[in-house]
Amino acid sequence: MAEPRVSGTLVEEVFRAESGRALATIARLVGDLGVAEDAVQEAFIAALRRWPETGVPDKPGAWITTTARNRALDVLRRENRRPDLEESAVREALEATPPILHPVADDQLRLMFTCCHPSLAAEARVALTLRLVGGLRVPEIARALLQGEEAVAKRLQRAKAKIRNAGIPLRVPPPELLAERVPSVLECVYLTFTEGYAATAGDELIRHELCDEAVRLARLLVTLLPDDPGAEALLALLLLQDSRRATRLDADGEVVLLADQDRGAWDHARIEEGLEWLDRAGAHDAMSAGAASYLLQAAIAAEHARAPSWTTTDWPAIVSHYDQLATLTRSPIVLVNRAVAISFADGPAVALPLLDELAGDDRLSGSHLLFLARADVRSRLGHPTEAAELYRAALDLASTEPERALLRRRLAELDVS
Amino acid sequence: MRHLVLLYGDETALPPPGSDEFMAQLPGYMAFGELAAGAIVGGDALHLQAGTRTVRLDGGSVSVTNGPFADTVEGLGGFYVLDVPTLDDAIELARHIPTAQRGAIEIRPLIEFFDRSADVVPAAEGETRFLATIHGQAELDGPGDPEWEAMGAAHGQFTDAAGDAVHAGGAVQPSSNATTIRVRDGELSVTDGPCAGVPTLTGGFYVLRGTEDGVADVAAKIPVGDGGIVVLSPILELGG
Repeated sequence: MAEPRVSGTLVEEVFRAESGRALATIARLVGDLGVAEDAVQEAFIAALRRWPETGVPDKPGAWITTTARNRALDVLRRENRRPDLEESAVREALEATPPILHPVADDQLRLMFTCCHPSLAAEARVALTLRLVGGLRVPEIARALLQGEEAVAKRLQRAKAKIRNAGIPLRVPPPELLAERVPSVLECVYLTFTEGYAATAGDELIRHELCDEAVRLARLLVTLLPDDPGAEALLALLLLQDSRRATRLDADGEVVLLADQDRGAWDHARIEEGLEWLDRAGAHDAMSAGAASYLLQAAIAAEHARAPSWTTTDWPAIVSHYDQLATLTRSPIVLVNRAVAISFADGPAVALPLLDELAGDDRLSGSHLLFLARADVRSRLGHPTEAAELYRAALDLASTEPERALLRRRLAELDVS
Repeated sequence: MRHLVLLYGDETALPPPGSDEFMAQLPGYMAFGELAAGAIVGGDALHLQAGTRTVRLDGGSVSVTNGPFADTVEGLGGFYVLDVPTLDDAIELARHIPTAQRGAIEIRPLIEFFDRSADVVPAAEGETRFLATIHGQAELDGPGDPEWEAMGAAHGQFTDAAGDAVHAGGAVQPSSNATTIRVRDGELSVTDGPCAGVPTLTGGFYVLRGTEDGVADVAAKIPVGDGGIVVLSPILELGG
């Protein structure tokens, strides 16, 4: 017997790359996510059995999609679950599809709009997008979002039940609704990225699979929503942020701050691409507040990406971007970051009262970031005792181990005599 | 697909019938009626909490109390049943209901809905129509779930036995399938789940007809299961 040429791992890779596309296409054809999911799953089981003997087909995506279509058709014929007109219409439509079925990219956009439907809870949208569009499995999603597998499985099940029971359509919304619906798709991709880039809990600060998936989805969005300023600005933002990913942690997994990162090791291809998308996004005459906020965040990331060194960073430009951002969003974190930028543009003494004033904002009471910023400014002004107290407060609130390690390092570096 | 659309408004939002404020609000609802004419398959306005009664079954004995069973700022001011292809269509219509601007609209997919009001003897002198909503019962999965099937059969028997007292009724999907919308300053907000701060509808609803006491007797026979409560809200007859 011939040596198996295809390993399970390879099929896994194809699964990650192709299952979302195949699912999106089958779901459009059968109009039922559950049937489509089962069919794609079965197609991969068939691939696991078949490919070790036959080798990977030339177009694995088409093989999977075609096999899944045939499985779905079998199920519909066999079960005849809803012996009504609608069902036979679906069957006829499926039978009329070409013998070899290629996945269609537009179908993925359709599926994203369904997964990000505003009538689904925001947490469910992210999990559902990762599952159905990204092809991540439940344990992977649970690990990435730091939630229990059972909780994720339940949330997915509930969301899928709602899609079916409440009649959430599998479609790209009509043009008159796009302005309302695109933001929740962009937000879902943005949340996927931020959760990956700065995880909110756990031992790891960065979850690479989420960053990768978010960048992939953001690229897909600019293709599928051409000339959408929000999609372009989001892709620019993700690329520019992500260009620094490899340098954010040192070999021991400790946080390396922007000031200390090896700029030569940043991903310059990503930076270049990000800057191009930033230009394109910035060229639109008008855009929504949401799109503008991605654009401004991307512009801030671009200032860092362009600066040859920390000391040559154009802080006044960054402050001006934050000023505009602060008028668009009520996020108090933006105000903290603005004050930090001011501390570098105009000096820590100017920023100190701004940061202390923010301590009165209840929304920041659970965040370590404000304590960290207030401590840093005091440390730079030569008030180590006050700084130490604030670093300790930040340490109590920091939720990931690398962040706590950074704070302990800061405390140790303080010259408290 | 049919959806039950529940209109939750501030107590003060719907002024007494016949008052100037009341008349001023009617055109908005009439405009919605025209907009959604092709989709509306049922619906009525309710007298806000005034006249509402709560029917409980406690160990076999029926208790009827005046007033709603929970104190809430927002009350159920009316409902529609919309027959539309998708949830998006339901949302697109429901956002134009005037209540969406001040209160909240809950959209509940229906498993079943029937309206036999055209076939039954119309209300006689001294009789009123009431909306009977079921609350507080354990939510069942829906068709296919043996418990749900058993409950459905019990409702079928109730409907048959109640005869002309039952004008319409429907079974809703569990509240995890609900969507709540609000419109503020022209902006639509859509949230997952039933309207917060009001008793959640579980199981379904009926439109009943009879004298006040007669309707309470009928409502007491609605199969609601353990812990279930029926709230009776008098329907505001706008048709004349």
